[in-house]
Amino acid sequence: MAEGLTVAQTAFVVLSVIIVALFAVTMAFSTYTIVLRIRNERRDRLWRDLTERWEAPVLDAIMDPEAVPSVWPQVPDRYRLHFVQFVLEYTRRVRGEERRTLARLAEPYLDGIAERVDDRRAEIRTRAVQTLGTLGLPKYADQVIAGLDDPSPLVSMVAARSLARRDHPEFAPVVMKHLARFDGWNPRFLASMLAAMGPEASQTFRQSLADPATPAWLRAVEAEALRMQLDPASGDIAVEALGNATNRELVASLLRLIAAVGRPEHVSLIRGICTDEDPVIRAHALHALGELGTDADLPLLLDAMSDPSPWVALHAARGVREAGGSKVLVELARSDGVPARLAGQVLHEGAHS
Amino acid sequence: MTQAFWTVIGAFNYLVLFYFIVLHVVYLATSFFAFGALRRYALRLKSLDLTDLVTSAWAPPITLIAPAFNEEANCVESVRSLLTLEYPEYGILVVNDGSTDGTIERLTAAFDLHEAHRLPTSDIATEPVRRVLHSRRHPNLWVIDKDNGGKADALNAGLNHCHTPLFCALDADSLIEPEALIRIVRPFLEDADAIAAGGVLRIANGCVVSRGRVVEVKMPRNFLAQLQVLEYLRAFLSGRMGWDALGATLVISGAFGLFKREVVVDAGGYSTDTVGEDMELVVRLHRHCREKGIPYRIHFVPDPVAWTECPESVSVLSRQRDRWQRGLFQSLMRHRKMLFNPAYGRVGLVAYPFFFFLEMLGPVIELLGYFSFTLTILAGRAEWPLVIAFLCVAIVLGGALSLSAVALEELSFRRYPRISDLLRLFSLALLENFGYRQLSVWWRLKGTVSAVRGVKGWGAMTRKGFTVDEEEVAAGVES
Repeated sequence: MAEGLTVAQTAFVVLSVIIVALFAVTMAFSTYTIVLRIRNERRDRLWRDLTERWEAPVLDAIMDPEAVPSVWPQVPDRYRLHFVQFVLEYTRRVRGEERRTLARLAEPYLDGIAERVDDRRAEIRTRAVQTLGTLGLPKYADQVIAGLDDPSPLVSMVAARSLARRDHPEFAPVVMKHLARFDGWNPRFLASMLAAMGPEASQTFRQSLADPATPAWLRAVEAEALRMQLDPASGDIAVEALGNATNRELVASLLRLIAAVGRPEHVSLIRGICTDEDPVIRAHALHALGELGTDADLPLLLDAMSDPSPWVALHAARGVREAGGSKVLVELARSDGVPARLAGQVLHEGAHS
Repeated sequence: MTQAFWTVIGAFNYLVLFYFIVLHVVYLATSFFAFGALRRYALRLKSLDLTDLVTSAWAPPITLIAPAFNEEANCVESVRSLLTLEYPEYGILVVNDGSTDGTIERLTAAFDLHEAHRLPTSDIATEPVRRVLHSRRHPNLWVIDKDNGGKADALNAGLNHCHTPLFCALDADSLIEPEALIRIVRPFLEDADAIAAGGVLRIANGCVVSRGRVVEVKMPRNFLAQLQVLEYLRAFLSGRMGWDALGATLVISGAFGLFKREVVVDAGGYSTDTVGEDMELVVRLHRHCREKGIPYRIHFVPDPVAWTECPESVSVLSRQRDRWQRGLFQSLMRHRKMLFNPAYGRVGLVAYPFFFFLEMLGPVIELLGYFSFTLTILAGRAEWPLVIAFLCVAIVLGGALSLSAVALEELSFRRYPRISDLLRLFSLALLENFGYRQLSVWWRLKGTVSAVRGVKGWGAMTRKGFTVDEEEVAAGVES
């Protein structure tokens, strides 16, 4: 407290300083908001003008790729990056040849985007990598591949998704090499990214899945990717891998893969797992049994409909339906109790699927 | 004795002053955190095509659980809004919690419901389920008709009947934006440890609704509703965004939150003996995961939006605020073990103490402060310059906070495009300090007292229904 001032006087001085500071903050917020509004409206107006200017020629170029060079003179230097963004928006709506035309349209301006992959802000780098990955492959492949090692997980994920493409199977090995970076991501999301690489990448996944030295989480992701690709050659590998797998997620993924691409000769192995002590494993095994089993498996599946785990019981009931036991379910649904209601439920599901 | 009394009052006045400044400094600090976080988030949104991310890749199936109690006015519109969401795979479970109005009849007629089987997959105790109904017209729409047990009980019934890895807890009277699920699911794709994510709630009063969607955003005409628009901006864009930036999200609105079903079931589902089941669940999830050593993260996502109708009368608003404060009190008292407990990380050391001392006990301190200040003035013992300075600080602080929220809105989502709306928000930032703020404190104090007294129940909430597009009404689109 200052010498000679009472508590009240000191408080008054402190409050006065706070008032001035807060008033300044309040004014700053108000001014900032107004400046933002003006800037945003100006930006909106500019976009409207640019859209009006570019929309027709770009659509013409999509219809007739010969018209591509006639669009470039309509892109002033100061709006080059705007044009790339404009083209990128269209890219999301088209495929194949039309997409290649759009990439040609953006080509003269992508050097400006490539400079941005070194920006200090992760979000700007992400945007640059996504743009180059969408419009600039294979020319800017080095910049996109470098994004896989970016310190920002977002940049590396966008780079991986840009490279994991069916039309560029040559990038599959480099993406696979960096997968360990994404162990914090949702495994199924990763699996869908791998599956997007198409059947040419399946061999790589199969080899990695068969290798017990591969981390269990990665094998589970690969099994899931192979399931999404419905890769028929992976059934035997999955059965073999199931023999030495102990990780719950891996076992569940292998069972899902077998359910999707397995063959009747795999059923004997699955039967043994249907009584596993882990309800998650039991549920997946019963699902696989339902997909691959025959009438002979109905007693086991019907028995599992009384499993203490409702999930196991539900999978068993669906298994009965898939294994061709609909008539048995109809009979069962006429009785009372939980299995009867379960039978009614899966019949209802079957009718509405 | 008299001198001692005035000394105590004087000291208390300074304590109130100190409390007030600390409270608002924390608010301002969260606003500043929110600025950085929202700026980054806006850039991030530009750098990612979310729709492509979700629709071209694997999107986890989601069940929307919407409890409905006497929602005759809005239920059809709300369900219709849910049916138009843009998401690859989702189901809707409306839980009719023993409504005594025509909720179930309106739903049955509008969506052609018939009885069907749907067995529970977990066994959280709830009031009896009478029947399960399924829509002939929309295969992903189910209605669970059960005895009345309150919102938490209805959510638990929905949870028991949920078959997907994620569920989204909603209010049956809120309108979810079409892209909201795509946006709110993002943390679950990027982060295998994500167990919950909350979205933003905005006020639908005054907005034009067509076919279950908000098609034109307008400020409400009702003054109380206008004030709540500003309050919601402050609470979500400044408050929750700021706490999320600190990694200490303690509240996810019960009207719009996405959760991992398995973790919520393991934690025991929603608590039925609190009126703040949404906050209680989040606090319990923190506790559950920390105590069991489960790696987890709880996120707040600022762009998925649910629109809700807010009270327009003082009596209904006071009941709502009373209930919110009771919920806060019950949740925080139940888990007070977390207070300043390093075992609960930032939540225990930062967020929990803030909510405990400043949000929960704040109304008591603030109202006692008004009382002691008035007493000091009436006794002629007030230092007038100090009183005036304090009032100025109160007004400017309140204004700064609200204006920061308006600035955040302009920085990020710009839902109020009219310049008149922006000016209206500016003026409200000043006006709310005269009367509304004090009323809010009074309602929250009443809520604290009710919580201490063990008062239960939600209190009646009357709703007008959304402002439906006139052309739609003329065309007779209503089912």
